Amino acid sequence: MKQILRSYALMLKWQALSNRPLLPLNIVVQLMIAAGFVIGIGFFYPEITPAMAKYLTTGAPTITLLMIGLVLVPQVVAMGRMAGTFEYMWSLPVPRLVFVAADATIWVLVSLPGVVLSLLMGAAYYDFSLHIQWPAIPAILLISVTGISVGYSIAHGAPNPQMANLATQVIVFSVMIFSPVMYPVEQLPGWLQAVHRALPVMYMADLSRGTLTDLEVDLGRAFAVVGAWCVAGVVVTSLLVRRRN
Amino acid sequence: MGVGGSDSREAAFAGGAWAGDVVLEVRELCKAYVKGRLVNDHLSLALHRGEVFGLLGPNGAGKTTLVSQVIGLAKPDSGRITLEGVDIVAHPDHARRQCSYQAQTQVPISGLTARQAIELVGRVRGGRTRSVHERAGALLDRLEMGEWAGRRAETFSGGMRRLVAFCMAAVAPGRIVILDEPTNDIDPLRRRLLWQEVRELVNMGSTVLLVTHNVLEAERAVDRLAIMDRGRVVGAGTPASLKGEGAEGMQLEVVVEPRGELPPLPPFLHHTVVTGRRVIGRLAEREVGSAIQWARGLKESNAVEEYSIGPLTLEDVYLGAIGRGGSLQGEEVQDEADPA
Repeated sequence: MKQILRSYALMLKWQALSNRPLLPLNIVVQLMIAAGFVIGIGFFYPEITPAMAKYLTTGAPTITLLMIGLVLVPQVVAMGRMAGTFEYMWSLPVPRLVFVAADATIWVLVSLPGVVLSLLMGAAYYDFSLHIQWPAIPAILLISVTGISVGYSIAHGAPNPQMANLATQVIVFSVMIFSPVMYPVEQLPGWLQAVHRALPVMYMADLSRGTLTDLEVDLGRAFAVVGAWCVAGVVVTSLLVRRRN
Repeated sequence: MGVGGSDSREAAFAGGAWAGDVVLEVRELCKAYVKGRLVNDHLSLALHRGEVFGLLGPNGAGKTTLVSQVIGLAKPDSGRITLEGVDIVAHPDHARRQCSYQAQTQVPISGLTARQAIELVGRVRGGRTRSVHERAGALLDRLEMGEWAGRRAETFSGGMRRLVAFCMAAVAPGRIVILDEPTNDIDPLRRRLLWQEVRELVNMGSTVLLVTHNVLEAERAVDRLAIMDRGRVVGAGTPASLKGEGAEGMQLEVVVEPRGELPPLPPFLHHTVVTGRRVIGRLAEREVGSAIQWARGLKESNAVEEYSIGPLTLEDVYLGAIGRGGSLQGEEVQDEADPA
C-alpha cells in the first residue's frame, strides 16, 4: 500500500508538471464555460424564473464534468496514444491503474473551480438559494470519476485514436441535446426514457440537484446507478490498460 | 544465408565464456500481430550477466517487437522469456521492476525539466531522493547536459530529448537496461560520451540490451550481438567471431573491364557476389598473398580495371547475413558452406 501511495504521489507530480503549460489555461476555460453557461441560459429563456434557473444551473455540474470526462480526457489520451506516451508509461514499474488515478486527479482538480463558479454565480445572478449538503462532495466526485473512467475506457478501447476522437463528437452531441439533464426525462419519447433509466447521465443530474438544492430526487437510486457505472468504468479501464498487444 | 555456424540460433543462445550465467533467456519466441505474419519467428537468444548485447537488424526485423514482449507491452503467441529464471510472460510486473527501458519513441516529458524527468523516473524505480539526485547530476555532467538540466523539455531538440530519455533509463538501472536506438539524432561528441555511460552501466552491474541498426556503432559498443532479419536470428556471436577472424576475415573486390569476361574465380574466394562488373568475395588472411597475385595478374592482362583488398567489416557480415548484399542486387555465383 505504501508503495502504491508513493507511486501515486510521484505520478501525480509527473502529470501535474506535464500538464503545467496548459493547466492554468484549462482552468480559465472551465471558468469561462461555467460563467458563459449561467449567462447563456438567460438568452435561451428570457422569461426565466428563479425556480427554472435553479433547475438549469444545477444541471451545469453534470454537463461540465461530463465534457471533461467524456470529451477532453479521451482527446488527451488519444493524443498520448499517437505520441507513444503510454508505451513509455506502461514500461515503468507502476501499476497502470495508479497512473490513471493520478491522471484522473488532475482532471478532477481542473473541473472543480468551474463547477463551484457556475453554482455560486447562478444563485447570485438568478436569485435562488442553494441548499448544499455534505453528500454534495461525494456526489460531485462520483460524477467526475465516472465520467473520466468511462472516457478512459472509450479512449483506450477504441481501435485507434481517431475513432476515439470521433466517438467523443457523438457523445458531446448526445449529452447536450438528448440527455435529460437540462429538462425532465418525461419530455423525451418513451424509448429514450427507457434508455436513460439505464444510463448514468440523468442520475448524475439528480445527484447534483439532490445534494445542492431542496429539489426532491431519489438520491439513493442516483448514487446506486452512478456508482455502478463508476465501478464498471474503472474495471473496464483497468482491463484495457493492462492489456498486452 | 546464416553466419557463425550451421545453427546460429544455438550460437545466440549459448556460446561464449559466460555460458551458465544467463540473465535473460528467450526461447522459441513467436509473435504475430496479424494472423499468419510472424514478426518474431521461433526466436531464441540469451543475455549473459554483465555484457552489452547488441540486437541488429533492418527496419521491420522484429527487434522492437522482441523488446516489447520482454518489457510486457506485448504478449508472445508462444515461447518463453525468463529473467533470472522468472517467467516474465506470466509476470510482466517483475520484468518492469527489473528492466529499465529507453523506448524508440519519444518520452512524455513536456512540461518537465531534464532533471525533473530523470529524478522522477529514478524515484519511481525505487531510488532514494538523495542518491537519485546525485546520480542524475552525475549523468547530466558526464553527458555535458548541465546547461539543459533546468530547462523544460518542450524546448529541446530531438537529440536532447533522446539523451534525457537515456538518462531516465540509466538513473536507477535495472538488472537489464534496454536501449532502443539510443543514439538516433545525437551529435557525435555526445554519442561517444553516451557509449561510455553504457559501459558504466555494465560496471554498475547491469546487463545491457542494445537495439540498433547502426552497425558501425554496434561493432564498437557491444560484447556480443545477434543479427535479426524477418523475425529470426540469422547470425550471432562476438563482432570478431562474426567477422571470422583468422578464417574468412578479409574481403577482395575486383572490377572487371567494361565488355570484359568474368574471370574464373579462385578456390580461396568464398561468399562471392557479382554485381554488374563488380565481384566481391571473402577470403582467409593467409590467402591475401595469393589473392593479390591473382588480382594483379588479371589487372596486368587488362581483364580487370581495379581491385582492392581489406579486412571484412561487421557491416559486410551484417549485409551478408540478412542476404541483401547492401543496396546492390547481387547474383550469387558461388556460395560454399559456411566456414564455422
